Amino acid sequence: MARALEKSGNWIGWAFFADFGTALSLTFGYMFSRPVTMQYPDKEKWLPYSRYRGHHFLTRDEKGEIKCVACELCAKICPCDCIEVVPYEDATGARHPKVFEIDTARCLFCGLCEDACPADAIALGQQYEFSSYASRDLVIGRDELMRKPGKAETGGGVVGARLDTRDAVRVETDEPAGYDWWRNIRRS
Amino acid sequence: MELALALGLIAFKVALLIAALLLLPLPLTWLERKIAGRIQQRMGPMRVGWHGLLQPLADGIKLLTKEDHIPAEADRFLFKLAPILALAPPFVVFAAVPFGESISVMGTEISLYVANLNVALLFILAVIGIEVYGVVFGGWAANSKYALLGSLRTCAQMISYEIPMGFAVIGVVMLAQSMSLVDIVRAQADMWNIVYQPVGFFVFFVAGLAEAQRIPFDLAEAEGDLGAGFHTEYSGIRFIFFMVSEYVIMVLVSVLAVILFFGGWNGVLIPLPPLLWFFMKVAFFIYLFMWFRFTFPRYRYDQLMAIGWKVLLPLSLANIIITGILFV
Ligand code: SF4
Ligand code: SF4
Repeated sequence: MARALEKSGNWIGWAFFADFGTALSLTFGYMFSRPVTMQYPDKEKWLPYSRYRGHHFLTRDEKGEIKCVACELCAKICPCDCIEVVPYEDATGARHPKVFEIDTARCLFCGLCEDACPADAIALGQQYEFSSYASRDLVIGRDELMRKPGKAETGGGVVGARLDTRDAVRVETDEPAGYDWWRNIRRS
Repeated sequence: MELALALGLIAFKVALLIAALLLLPLPLTWLERKIAGRIQQRMGPMRVGWHGLLQPLADGIKLLTKEDHIPAEADRFLFKLAPILALAPPFVVFAAVPFGESISVMGTEISLYVANLNVALLFILAVIGIEVYGVVFGGWAANSKYALLGSLRTCAQMISYEIPMGFAVIGVVMLAQSMSLVDIVRAQADMWNIVYQPVGFFVFFVAGLAEAQRIPFDLAEAEGDLGAGFHTEYSGIRFIFFMVSEYVIMVLVSVLAVILFFGGWNGVLIPLPPLLWFFMKVAFFIYLFMWFRFTFPRYRYDQLMAIGWKVLLPLSLANIIITGILFV
């Protein structure tokens, strides 16, 4: 009986396009809800969390020397075989990399190199904008890796930004404070 | 002198109408993309001008400067003729569409229509049928299977939807005892036709959706399965022709729905200028078209046919009979 009632209710609903009404009211609701996209790169930019695995960087010790001891463990563990290390010994007998190249075109940003390194010399930072016209430009050498920014303390938010195309294409951030739109993207 | 003035006035009205209809797709494409964006929780165009207002202009310039490509195996004459055939009828039709009663400017009465035909409704339905040839020729001449499938679908769709559409408006004609759109609106001064003709309106609206090739009946250009349907092979200015034609037909169906069923320029409760009332109602229908587009999926081809022949046609026939018994 209940099923028959439900069935006839369904038919009455269909005859008066109840499901059309539901669909239309749903999209109407969305029409006035907040957009979830951000205006990158014109006005806003996402700052990733500090756990984010972006562009690699090489760290220095207190004296400003490169920390890497050229043990090549990172090169061994790398699943993409994209790290190339050529060691040398300095006057005191310490090993350092003469050549340290990462082919970021092949890298899959798994972070295994960071985990494997015994000297905490390599890590993955927050930078994620490094496109280029030629894939050979994506092979990053030792000196550039040492210049790259390290891990940020904060992150996980959208900050104001603007697109700068004067000499290169860059998205500069304005203020350090961000906002969390991801908390209210879901309609209740 | 009198004659010259009258002729000048008509020329002016026609020029104004053509200019307005040619420019109308600009704000409408912007609106459509904005509505699409908002419904999908995006922002829509934002980069060119304030909130992307100049985006249609940029797109227009882009299309105009694009290569006007004609496929090697195409029927060149028909290929060039088709966009014109698609564009001209919707413009011609607007000559018979009234936008209001007359207004007086500097002591002269100026009527807000180009011509008050006594068979306006018949004229509109007949001329708008020609537009289909543009779509059919376009698909045929391009010599591409997607385009051909698109125009095949259009043929079948138009045949099955123009009939219920024609029948649906008969109820309105019976109530007004006239085919002139001005008389039809005057007949609705007290009560809009939608009250007497809800079924007629339903059939008209659904058939109008199909006529304007809008989702859920845009089988002819179904992006998902046919590339772009009948205008797959068109580019540049010819593509603009098809686009403009599509938007003008959407406006036309909105205008007809307002005139036939929603009292034209007759207002309710709030005394606003009749022209404003008219444009507000038309705007609502245009919004409805866009709202539908981003809410519903496309009907399958056989479902489209079934709706046309098994639902709309019997409904419109029953509507005529019942209207005939009750009101005449
Ligand atoms: S992140 Fe993974 S893939 Fe990239 S260099 Fe390190 S180990 Fe190799
Ligand atoms: S980065 Fe770390 S793991 Fe790689 S060679 Fe240097 S010290 Fe070894």
